[in-house]
Order: sequence, then C-alpha cells, then structure tokens
Amino acid sequence: MAGKIEWETSMDKALSRAKAEEKHVLLDFFNPG
Amino acid sequence: MDAVTYPDEGVAKFIEDNLIPLRVAFDHKPLATDFKVKWTPTLITLDSDGVEHHRTVGFLAPDELIGSLMLGIGKSNFEREEFDKAIATFSLLLERHPKSDSTPEAIFLRGVSMYKSTHDPKPLRASYDKLTAEYPDNEWTKRAYPYRLIN
Repeated sequence: MAGKIEWETSMDKALSRAKAEEKHVLLDFFNPG
Repeated sequence: MDAVTYPDEGVAKFIEDNLIPLRVAFDHKPLATDFKVKWTPTLITLDSDGVEHHRTVGFLAPDELIGSLMLGIGKSNFEREEFDKAIATFSLLLERHPKSDSTPEAIFLRGVSMYKSTHDPKPLRASYDKLTAEYPDNEWTKRAYPYRLIN
C-alpha cells in the first residue's frame, strides 16, 4: 500500500532487491538531525 | 523532504512501483565518502550494479521529484545503451510531467537515444524544434542548437 516509503538501510540489500525486482535504487543521503 | 515530498501519495506510489529506496545519514561510512556527498538532501539514482546515473542536491517538490527520478531511470537506460527503454521512459516523463524541470533534458536525451538506436538524425532535429518551441531559454535548448542544421 502506497503512502509510506519503506526505506532500506543496507546498500547490499537494496542492490540485491534491485536485481531481483529489476528496478533502480534511489539513494537518499539525509540529515537525521 | 520528510515534511512535504515523501509523504505525498503520488511520490510514495511512484517509488514503490519503480525503485528500491535506500536511505543513509549524510556522514555514513563508507557511502558518504564513496559518493562524495557534501550537502543534504543528496538524491542519487543507481542501477542494480550500484553505478550512479543521476544526482540532485537540495529540496524537490513532489512533482519535481517524480520527474527527476524518471529522468534518472531514463539516463541509466541510456548510459547502458538500453535505448528502447530509455525512449519509453523519457516519453512517459514528457507525457506525464511536461512542466517538470527535468523534461528539457529528457527531450534532448530522447532525441539522442532515437538517433543512436536508428542512426536516423531526424529525431535530433525534432528534439531541437520541440525544445525551441516549448523551452526557448533552457540550457538543453542551447545544447541542441547544432541540430537545427539537420534536414
């Protein structure tokens, strides 16, 4: 369900998912405050 | 981004459908160093091998973020010489987000993608004509200037 972004926090896991799901990765460097 | 853009339903849906979202702090080691991050937010589009294809720095409103992400995906397709996918992605951006700041670059790269996939130069001229008509003062219109000579 859309409405809340479920962020990955591991590059390895994000790339593994990207390959499996044939998607790109949005990498967001943010300031957690 | 957390107050305005990421809570937007359209943004969340687009990301869910098209991307794997990965978020790390600006001082993350080694990623912040590897990607030479100097300011936040820095948003980077990667392919599934971890190669960077597009980057923005600073706030983007919801429509601008979606346009920028579509441009990033299209640039990844283009740089990996997946020209049919690139043309489809750029065309969708033009159709759905004609007012996006990302659209002029997409017009330019769509023309180049068409040329590289067919070796017919007419799409380059068409991109120049479209940019001149719709975005006369944009930097991508200036970059397409030589294509005016194509008949």
